[in-house]
Formats: sequence, C-alpha cells, structure tokens
Amino acid sequence: MIYPKKYDVVVIGGGHAGCEAALISSRLGVNTLMLTIALDSIGAMSCNPAIGGLAKGHLVKEVDVFGGEMARNIDETGLQFKILNKSKGPAVWSSRAQADMTAYKLRMKYILEQQKNLDIKQETVDEIIAEDNKIIGVKTNIGNEYLCDSVVVTTGTFMKGKIFIGLNEYEAGRAWEPPSKKLSDSLRELGLRVGRLKTGTTPRLDARTIDFDSLKLQPGDDEPVPFSFKTTNFNRPNIPCYLAHTNEKTHKIILQNLDQSPLYSGMVESMGPRYCPSIEDKVVKFFEKKQHQIFLEPQDEHSTEIYADGLHTSLGYEVQLKFLRSMKGLEEVEIMRPGYAIEYDFVDPTQLKHTLETKKIKGLFLAGQINGTSGYEEAAAQGIIAGINAAFQMQKKKLFTVGRDEAYTGVLIDDLVTKGTKEPYRMFTSRAEYRLILREDNTQLRLAEKAFKAGLMNKEHYEMVMEQKAKIQEMVKKLKTTYIFPNDDTNKKLQALGTKIIKTKTDLAKMLRRTEINYENLIELNPNLEKLEPFIKQEVEIDLKYEGYLNLQKQQIEKFKKYEELKIPSDFDYNVVGGLSNEVRGKLMEIKPSSIGQAIRIPGVTPAAISIIVVHLKKSNDKRYKSTA
Amino acid sequence: MYDDDVIAAIATGYGASAIGIIRVSGRSAFEILKKIFTQQPPYKHRYLHYGHILNKDSSIIDEVLVSVFEQPHSYTGENSFEINCHGGILVLNKILQRLLESGARLAQPGEFTKRAFLNGKLDLSQAEAVEKIISSKTERALKIAQRQLRGRFSSKLDTIREKILFLMAENEVIIDHPDEDLSSISFEKKIETVRNIQSELKNILKASELGNTLFEGILLAIVGKPNVGKSSLLNILTGTERSIVTEIPGTTRDVVSESFVIDGIPFTILDTAGIRKTEDVVESIGVQKSVEAIHKADMVLAVFDATKKLEDEDLHIIEHIKNTNKKTLAVLNKTDTPSLICKSDIPFDNVINISCKTRDGLEKLEDSLSKLSLGEIEDSDIVSLNANQKESIKNAIDICEQLIKDIENNIDPSLIAVDLIGLTDYLDEIVGKITNEDMLDVMFKNFCIGK
Repeated sequence: MIYPKKYDVVVIGGGHAGCEAALISSRLGVNTLMLTIALDSIGAMSCNPAIGGLAKGHLVKEVDVFGGEMARNIDETGLQFKILNKSKGPAVWSSRAQADMTAYKLRMKYILEQQKNLDIKQETVDEIIAEDNKIIGVKTNIGNEYLCDSVVVTTGTFMKGKIFIGLNEYEAGRAWEPPSKKLSDSLRELGLRVGRLKTGTTPRLDARTIDFDSLKLQPGDDEPVPFSFKTTNFNRPNIPCYLAHTNEKTHKIILQNLDQSPLYSGMVESMGPRYCPSIEDKVVKFFEKKQHQIFLEPQDEHSTEIYADGLHTSLGYEVQLKFLRSMKGLEEVEIMRPGYAIEYDFVDPTQLKHTLETKKIKGLFLAGQINGTSGYEEAAAQGIIAGINAAFQMQKKKLFTVGRDEAYTGVLIDDLVTKGTKEPYRMFTSRAEYRLILREDNTQLRLAEKAFKAGLMNKEHYEMVMEQKAKIQEMVKKLKTTYIFPNDDTNKKLQALGTKIIKTKTDLAKMLRRTEINYENLIELNPNLEKLEPFIKQEVEIDLKYEGYLNLQKQQIEKFKKYEELKIPSDFDYNVVGGLSNEVRGKLMEIKPSSIGQAIRIPGVTPAAISIIVVHLKKSNDKRYKSTA
Repeated sequence: MYDDDVIAAIATGYGASAIGIIRVSGRSAFEILKKIFTQQPPYKHRYLHYGHILNKDSSIIDEVLVSVFEQPHSYTGENSFEINCHGGILVLNKILQRLLESGARLAQPGEFTKRAFLNGKLDLSQAEAVEKIISSKTERALKIAQRQLRGRFSSKLDTIREKILFLMAENEVIIDHPDEDLSSISFEKKIETVRNIQSELKNILKASELGNTLFEGILLAIVGKPNVGKSSLLNILTGTERSIVTEIPGTTRDVVSESFVIDGIPFTILDTAGIRKTEDVVESIGVQKSVEAIHKADMVLAVFDATKKLEDEDLHIIEHIKNTNKKTLAVLNKTDTPSLICKSDIPFDNVINISCKTRDGLEKLEDSLSKLSLGEIEDSDIVSLNANQKESIKNAIDICEQLIKDIENNIDPSLIAVDLIGLTDYLDEIVGKITNEDMLDVMFKNFCIGK
C-alpha cells in the first residue's frame, strides 16, 4: 500500500546514526519516520560496550551541543567513566565510559518513543524511490510505500552483510539479525558507487568461567565526569574492567590455525580497519611481540557476558576456544558468542556534500558506516548532521555544515567527502589540524553560538554559556593587568610554592604560565583575587598556559578560512578551464569541491591547478564568485 | 593565492650579466624598501632612485637604482619596485635574501603575471595564455627543483622523511592510543633522531653553499715564475678587448673583465693586477704573489716555460701547489719554439702544451679547464637550492633545536606535535609533502595498535 501519511523525513536504520538523525529531525519539528529491521535493536552496540575514547569523546560532546542524545544516554547508563590522557595536555583529554549495553539501547528506544513528530516502524527498506534525481519515498519488504521529501540512510553493516566465523559464512547484518539484501542495489540503480568493507568483533565470554582474581583490575575514575553538558544529578557506578594477556602459547595456536581464518584463506578480500586489527593480524604482523593486551569489559550490569576487547577474530569456534583457554585467568572460559568478521556494502563518501546529502539525488542523505566509517561516535556525529539538514531542507533553512576549524565533526565529514576512505574510517586527534583549539573541555564555548544560531540550542542554555565565556575572558584580562611585586612577603610565598622568586613587577598571567603554578596559587599571592568555579578556573588556566600555541593555531585558522570562503559554484565547469591535467580535472569534477580550501585538500590536486581555478573563478563575474555553492 | 602580501623574485637570468633586476610587488612593498634602502621615502612614482642596499648591520650590499611604481599604475597593479643592481648571482641572491628577511616572500613562478591578471591589468585573451604559463612554469620549476634535489640527495632526503614520519607516528601513538602497551622510545633515542635530521639538513645547506661558489665563479690562480707568459694567457682567456677596457680604473667593468666563461662556468682570475705588474717589472715578488694566489684559489693554472729547464722558482711553486692539494692544470707554454722540457717533466696529472703566440693548444686548454671544474661538481654533493628552499631548511634546522629542547623538557606530546608539523611544513617542498595518512601508515606499520 501507499501509506496515507506523508512524512518529511524517513530515517532508515535505528543505530547510532539513525537515532540521532531521527531525534534531531523530529525535535526540529518535521514529521519523521524511523524504519528499522529490528525494533529491539534500536541503539544497539554491535561491538564494544563503550562510548567515547580518544577523539571520539570529542565527537560525543559535539553531538551533545548540537542537540543530540548520545552523551545524555551514556550518562544515564554508563558502568564506569574515565578521562583518558589526563596526564597530558588538555587538547588530548578524552572521555570514555563503559556502557550497560542493554540499558543503553532500552533508554534510547524509550527516548525515541517519547519524541513528538516521530513514528517508529519495524520494516526493511528494499528500495529508495527517486524521480528526476529527487527523493519520492521508500518501499519496504512488506510492500508498503512511504512518501517523503528526504531519506536518511543509516544502514551500518547491514547492506549485503556477510558474517565469517572460521570457514563458515552466512548472511547477516549484525550477529544474528537479517541483512538488508536489496537496498544497496537500489542505491546502485540511483547511480551511486558502492564498495565493500570489512570489520570484526570479539568473542563474548561467560564471567562465571573467568578467574578475575588472577587479572589486573581496571576501574574507572574515582570522580567520574559526565559527557553531557546538560547532565545534572550524575550518579553512576564504577564497575571495573580487567586486563588479561595473550602469551606465546596463544600465538602458536593462532599461527597454526591460520588456514581456518577467512582473512588468510582469501575468503574475505575487502579492507579492514588497520587500527583495529584481528588478533590473527597482530600475531602475524608483530611476530616479535610476546604478548598482547586483552581488556575484559562488562557488557551489562545484569548479565554475565564479558566483552574481550583486543581479540577481534574470524577464526573458527574451536580455535577461538583453544586460544582463549591458553591465557592466564581464562583457562576454564566458556564462549557465549563467538567473534566474527563481517563484510558489508558502503557508499563511496566522496559522492556526498558537506551536508551529507548525495550530490546526485536531492533529499538523499547518508550517515554512519554506510559512508565508510567505523564507531558509534563517528556514526552519531554524521547522523545528527544528516538529520539536521534533512529537516532544514524541508523547512527551507540554510543548511548546516561544520568546518575543520570548528569541530571534529567537521574534520570527519570533510575527510570523508574530500578524500573518501579505503578502510573503515576512525577518528584520531591527529586528523584535526587545530587540535589545540578543538578540545573536549571547550566544546560548548566553541560551538554554542553556532548551535544557537541554527536553532539547535535553547536561549537559556546559550546565555549561560555566553556568561561563562565572558567570565573567562574577563579573568584572563584581569590576570594580565594585576601585578605582584618583588617584596619579601611575595618571594617567601613563591619559595614556599616551589617556584622561582621574582625580581621585577610581574603580572599574574605571567605567573600562571609557570608549569608549577595554578590559579589557586595566584589567590595565595593575591588574596583579593576571587574564587572561581572549577570550569572557569580550568579554562582560564588553559587559555593562559597555552596562549602562545593557541594564538598560533588561531592564525592558522584565519589563513584556512580565507580559502574556505573562496566558494566554487556547484555548477562550475572544469571543462572550460585550460591547463588542467586530465587526472586533476577528473578529480575536481568528481569531488566538486565547494571551496578553494576543499579543492586544496583533494589528494593529487596541484598548487598550479589551484592557481588556475582561482584565476578562472575571478574571471567569471564577481557576484557568482562570492555566492555559496 | 589571493594575497597581496609582498613577493619578490630575480627578474633577470641567472647567467653572467652586467646588471640584474629584482622585482618586488605587494601592498606594503615600500615599507620593505624603506628598511633596506639608503634612500628614504617619499618615493616618486615612475622615477629612478639612487642609493645602496644595506645589510642588517648597515654594511653595503650593492650600489643600485630603484624604479618605483605606485598602485594601480604598475605591471601587477600593486605597489611595486624594481632594484637594478650589478649582475652576478651572488649580489642578486644577497639582495633577494635581504628582501625575504625584511618581510617579502619569494614569488611563485608566474605570480607577478597572475596578480596582474587578478588586478585587471590583462584582458581575457591574455588571461587564457596566462593560465597555461602558470601551469607549465610552476610544474616545470617544481620538477627541476625536485630533480636537482633528488639526484644527489635522494636517499638522504628519504631518510629524513622516514625519520620525521617515525617521530610523528611515535608521538601520535602516545596521544591517540594511551591504553596500548607499547615499548616507548627513550628520550635519548628521540633526541638522537632529531640531531640526525638536523645534521643532515645542515649538510644539504652546506652542499648548497658549495653549489653557490660554483655559481659565483671558480677562483682561478694563474701562477708561474716571471716571464713565463701569465699575462699573455690572462689576456687570451679574458679577451684582449676587455683588458683594454680595464685600463679605465674605477668602472664596474673592471671586475667583469677579470672573469671569463667556459661552458657556462664562470672563472674569476685572482690578482690580475699582480700578474701584469710582475710580468712587466720582472721581479722576484712574482713567486710570492703566486703563493698567495694559490691559497685563495679554488683551482690553479700553473704556467711553465717549455724553452727552459725547470728552475728553483718552478720547483718552489710546484711544491707549494702539492702542499695545498688544489686542483691544478699545468700548461707548458712557448711550445712554438724548440722545447727543453716536455709534459712528463711536469709532475701534475693534467698537463697540456700551448703557445700563447700561435694560439696552439688553446682549445685544449679551455676544454681541460671546463672538465676539471665540472669533475669537481660530479665528485661532490653539490646541490643548488633557491632562496626559498634555503630559508626553509634554515627554519627547519631551528625547529629541530626547539624540538630537542622540548623533548628534553618533557613537553606535552600535543605541543611536540606542533614542532613536528612545523618541521614538515618547512620541508614540504624538499622531502615531499607529509600528510596525516602518511603518518598513520607508518604508525600502523610500526606499532601494534588495536583494542
């Protein structure tokens, strides 16, 4: 049947990208439908039971500022919270939490169910219907047709998903759930390039059969910090993980049974993630390493299932059991679910705009693993951007894009649409050029204005952030203009603080730049200085201690922006530009960069080619040159 | 690429010429001129300004004429000026260097023309042509630069690149994979790597200086006892006409006349005045002069009289040359008359017979001079770097110093990363662009990562 209710936005998939897309689109007031293969799997964690981690924590916080749910959801369902890299500089502090997988997905489903403007249905989408390169609707496995203006596709690993356990293979989207067999063909028919990627997961073990006493305890932080800037009354448990190790015997078993691995027998040829190699890869490639770490993580507060992180494997069940039992603490272990490798279809993301809409089909948005990424956080960040833009397009608002200079979300999307990917793409802090500025701690400070202007943050919250910002600026200024003098009293205090005495009048900002001095010490030196709440204090310290580096990056950003602002019209004809090599011309025509800045980042596009395009843009009339693509 | 920052470039060719021109353009061009020129503003549009270009320490680089063009009435449409100075790559490079120090940057190939176009100084049909020029010029320049560099330094550059990538990968692994149990690299090892990179960069810089001396010209000492024919040889090599010109003292040509070019290699003869004087006066000072010249020279042209047996003075000179180990070409002059000695009597590897009188053997002489000096290039790691590349390497060497300090002080890896990225930025053109992907490749290859 053609379903009588017409939707503005249809979201295909209920994973981490789908949930954010559906929630934000309905929160922005447009009629949204989520279609999922399995209602019970909404918000499911297919792999590790954790949210956040290096660079991923940044993404979660950005999604939070843009009005997303991931941060709030983990704050309500986390089992332990930790700030990684706390001993290093603030730019690379990253939050991570272990999640109660079951609680996580149930709460997410609940939130979706409470959401106004959002319907949720369990159906499999087989076909996306478009006419004249514009979305009309979708058709499902039970013959329903839903008419809509936009579709957000978030299929994860489900499109033509194929699972490998040893030499056994079967079609599945996630462990035991049916794949989506037809959708990627439909995308191909719409003219999109579809490729294949591989990833894997680890065996789940029975906690009752693990000797935890012989393993190293890994608890979370004693004073846990929540992800979301909206979370109050934060009160979560601190359930530990455990550290186990492989040994030479384990490695021997793996090496002896490589013929049982579809990765080594040639059954799986697609590219897997290099940062998340299977245990067989680790043993083969780093032969000299005598042991590898295995993190045993709780999956669920009320279950005995344990996730064995670091043991991604596609080896057969028998081999898995054998090598697991070769490890200390796991001698008697029972597998509850085996690890597996999974191969799936993805869409080459260079076919997308920065809004995550396909260049080809108006109203077709893609988010998450379908774009070649990996990770819940990467998925959520894309989901929210796709959802916002699907809604904004409906509302005829200016579409929402995020720059590399603004957020990790911007780096992620720009990398995908500009360079594409050959392996499942994971976020790293090293990918962000302006890492010192794009920190977790200042996520709200740097994005509140953008979020508020786009209608993603309410006024009250925005004003609160602006007050913080003003306070920080005021304090930085104050410390730069408040002085201490080289008298006995001051120098005695300085000595007591274990820092050098001063010989001339010195401002407090300069004192704070000393590694061993913090804001509290400044109060000792100048009792008139006001007490600050911890967040303000922390930001003032970061701003002053890293001022030189931050200013350097700000200058780099200014330069970067200059090129970003040189827009290239989307109908710019590279064929009329003389002097470009065929290779460069081909790349430019394929990627259709929206700005000179993006064109510079396309691999293989030479500085000479850029000069030529700039000359040409200038030649076309100035008005068009300035207009946005 | 859309900037109006100040750009500068040598506009005349790199070969030997009497005058050279350096062109400068950009919004604040005159502020830079003010910093380096004895004549202070106001500068008058379309007028020539006479004065000296000064070093930072106020010593004079050269006596010049500067023509000034105010925007928009210049080739580029921007404020611009042209420095007319004395020819020769040394002076040109020094002035260019001074401009770069004072805030200009080296122009990309075709950049003046591009600016002219962007400022509406060229029409559309000209613009089409400009596109082609920009692309072909830039790419050719790049290729030439890379080929030059890669030739001699290929493996060294690759090693530097690998070392930088490894330092980056190691630094990033610590940041992005804090849970991994990685055997970390010791401070000492890291510092040693940076020192290695730094010393390789210094070597390249040194080699480029060598290349420069070649551009400046090979300093050639013509030595021999009095009356052996040094003066005639000098006149033949430099061309008689020119030596007449040198009779007028104080002209700039005076300097030019002491040089000659063979196969594009400029030779400068040392102490020509001394040679003429001793030849005329027939004094014993002649030998002493020769000894001094040998010391200063890059190469020695030793002249012997074929009509006389080797005398004490000859032996003294021979001994002296042997002691300094300089490249030497020996000539046996006056072979037009019956000889008392032959080539084998002269204890040098390269000996030729000539006659200044009949001009016999002169071609052979030029050929040998060229081969001997060219041989020198092939034997050593000479590299020619442009001012920009040199500047980049110097900056990179400075960053290495900073990096060593930061590593020693156990500075945060996210800040060490800033040093490393700075290093790759400076070495972009020299070792090839280093992208984050390159770094990740090295990281995944060398470190076992993956939870």
